[in-house]
Amino acid sequence: MPTLRLEGLTKHYVRASQVVRALDAVTLEIEQGEFAAVVGRSGSGKTTMLDCAGLLMRPTAGRVLLDGVDTGRLGERERAELRSRRIGFIFQEFNLLPTLSAMENVLLPLRYSGADHRAGRRRAEVLLEEMGLAERMGHRPAELSGGQQQRVAIARSLIGEPTLVLGDEPMGEVDTETAEMLLSLMRRINRESRVTFLIVTHDLDLAARADRIIHLRDGRLDADQRVERPGTRAGVAALAAVG
Amino acid sequence: MADANSSSGFGGGYMDLSTLDRIQRVQGVLAVSPGVYDTAKPGSASVVSMGVPDFIANFDPNWNRYSPLKLSLAGGRWVGDASRLEVDLGSSIAAEFHVRVGDTIALPVRPSDAQPGFVNHRFTVVGILKPTLTAPDSGAYVSLHDAQMIEGDSLPTALRGQVDPYQLITGAVVYAQPGVNLDSLATRINSAVPTVEATKPSTLVNAFKSGGAVFTVMTTAAALLALVIGGLSVVNTMLMSVSERVREIGLKKAIGARTHHILREFLAEAALIGLIGGVAGYLLGLVLTTLLNGSNPSGGLFLVTPGLTALAIGFAVALGAVAGLLPAIRAARMDPVRALRAQ
Repeated sequence: MPTLRLEGLTKHYVRASQVVRALDAVTLEIEQGEFAAVVGRSGSGKTTMLDCAGLLMRPTAGRVLLDGVDTGRLGERERAELRSRRIGFIFQEFNLLPTLSAMENVLLPLRYSGADHRAGRRRAEVLLEEMGLAERMGHRPAELSGGQQQRVAIARSLIGEPTLVLGDEPMGEVDTETAEMLLSLMRRINRESRVTFLIVTHDLDLAARADRIIHLRDGRLDADQRVERPGTRAGVAALAAVG
Repeated sequence: MADANSSSGFGGGYMDLSTLDRIQRVQGVLAVSPGVYDTAKPGSASVVSMGVPDFIANFDPNWNRYSPLKLSLAGGRWVGDASRLEVDLGSSIAAEFHVRVGDTIALPVRPSDAQPGFVNHRFTVVGILKPTLTAPDSGAYVSLHDAQMIEGDSLPTALRGQVDPYQLITGAVVYAQPGVNLDSLATRINSAVPTVEATKPSTLVNAFKSGGAVFTVMTTAAALLALVIGGLSVVNTMLMSVSERVREIGLKKAIGARTHHILREFLAEAALIGLIGGVAGYLLGLVLTTLLNGSNPSGGLFLVTPGLTALAIGFAVALGAVAGLLPAIRAARMDPVRALRAQ
C-alpha cells in the first residue's frame, strides 16, 4: 500500500472572478520509504499539491489517500488527528516559536496529539542529538543559525513518528552548503527509519539527489521519473530530460 | 430600655426651653433632652466633604441611658451639667486638632474670613471619645450652658442682648417608651405641640437611603467604567496578539492542533492577563486602603476581607477570559494554509 496516493487531484480557486486551476487532475503514488522531490516553476501547483497532501486544504475534486485512508471523508477533527500522528511538516521559514527553546519547539506537536510527555522528551533528546544539536537544546531560535533552526524543525517534524514528511522548500532559506547538509540529514533519516519524504524544491541540484522527481507544469503532472543513482550525473541528466 | 429609640429634630430654628415640658407630656414619650447644636467650623459649610462636618453640641446624659449606640471615653471624663469651658471631643476632631486630654481648644474654630463680631472661647479638653465610625467622632460635647453660650455668640449682633440664650435650644431629642411606634409618636407631638416640628425616623431613614443610593450609583458607575475599559483593553491586547501570531496559529494547526486547542490556549492567555491585572489592581487597592485607613484617626474605614480578595481576583480572571473569547474564536477559526503564509 502506498503511503500517499493522489487520485485526480484538482484544486480551483476563484481569483478576481477568474477560475485559477492550481491543480488539474494529478494522479500519483508515493511508496513507503521513498524520497521524492516535486519541482516546477512558480505557480505550477507544487505548494497546493503539498497542502492537499498534508490535509491542510481540501481539493475541489479528486482524492487524497494516506496509508489507504480516504481523507476526503474525514471531518476536520480526524484530519487534524491524522496530521499530528502521520504527517510531519518542514517549512521554508522554519516556523519555530520564538519564545520556546529548541527542545520545547520539538515537543510542540505532542501537546496536541496527547502523546506521553516523558517518552516524547526522551525521543526529542535523541532526535536533537542526531541533528547535532545536543548542546543547543535549551537555546531559543534567535540564538541558533538558520541551518540549526531548520534542523530543529526537522526534529519537530519527526517527533510524532510520522509515516510521511512534507517539506515546502525546506532548503530555501539557507546557503548552499547548509542546504547540502540538511538534505544529507533528511536522506539519512529516510534511509534509516524508512520515513517517506515529499519535498518541494526549486533547486534542481538538490532535487537530483532524490529517488524520484515529480515535475508539475501549470497544475498538471508533466513528468514523474525515478533517479537511478541519486546525486550522480545520471540523476542530473534525468532531471535535465524532465526540465 | 434597650429598645428605647430616639426621635430627634434639629430644624435650624430656635425653641424655648419650656417647650420640653409640653413634649414630655405627650403619650409614649419616655424622656426629652434639650439639644443645642452648632457648627464647630463656621464658614466651612460650603466646603464639600464626604464625612460629618465638625459640630458642637451639648452633652446629653440621656443618650447613653437610652440610645442603642453607646458612647464611651478613650480617656478622661465626661463633662457634667455644671461644667464650664470643658469639652469632650470625638476621636476625629481630637485627631484633627492634635489635642489630648488636658490640652485646650478654641471653639468654635475661628474661620479665616471671620466676621468682626466673631467670638470664641478656649475650652479645656477633659475627655476624648472612642471612635464610633459615625457622627459622634466629629462632635465637641460641652455642657448645655456652654452650648447655649456659643449659640448666643453666633446670634446676629442686633439680636444679642435682646434674647436670653440660656432659654433657647435648637432642638430636642425625644426618647420613646419601648414598643411605641416612632412615626406615630412624631405625629402626636406635632399635633400636641404646634410650635415644634418632630421629624419622623422613617423620613431620616429614607433620606439616608437616598443618600446611600447616590453613593451606590456613583461607585457602580465607576466600577462599570473600569469594567468596560479593562475589558476593552484585554480585547485589544488579545486581538493584537492574534494578528501578530497568525503564523504561529497556522503552524499549530498544521502540526495537529484542533480548534479547541487554539481556543483554550488563547482563552488561558486572556485569563492570565486578567489574573495579572487583577493581582496588580488588588495590591494597589490594598496599599491605598492601608494608607487611607492609616490616615483616618478613627480607624479602618475600608475593610479588605478574604472573600473580597477572592471576588476581586476571580472577577478579573473571568473578565479577562470573557474579553478574550472573541479574539480566541477568531484565532481558532483561522484557515491553516492562509495563516501559515501570512506575512
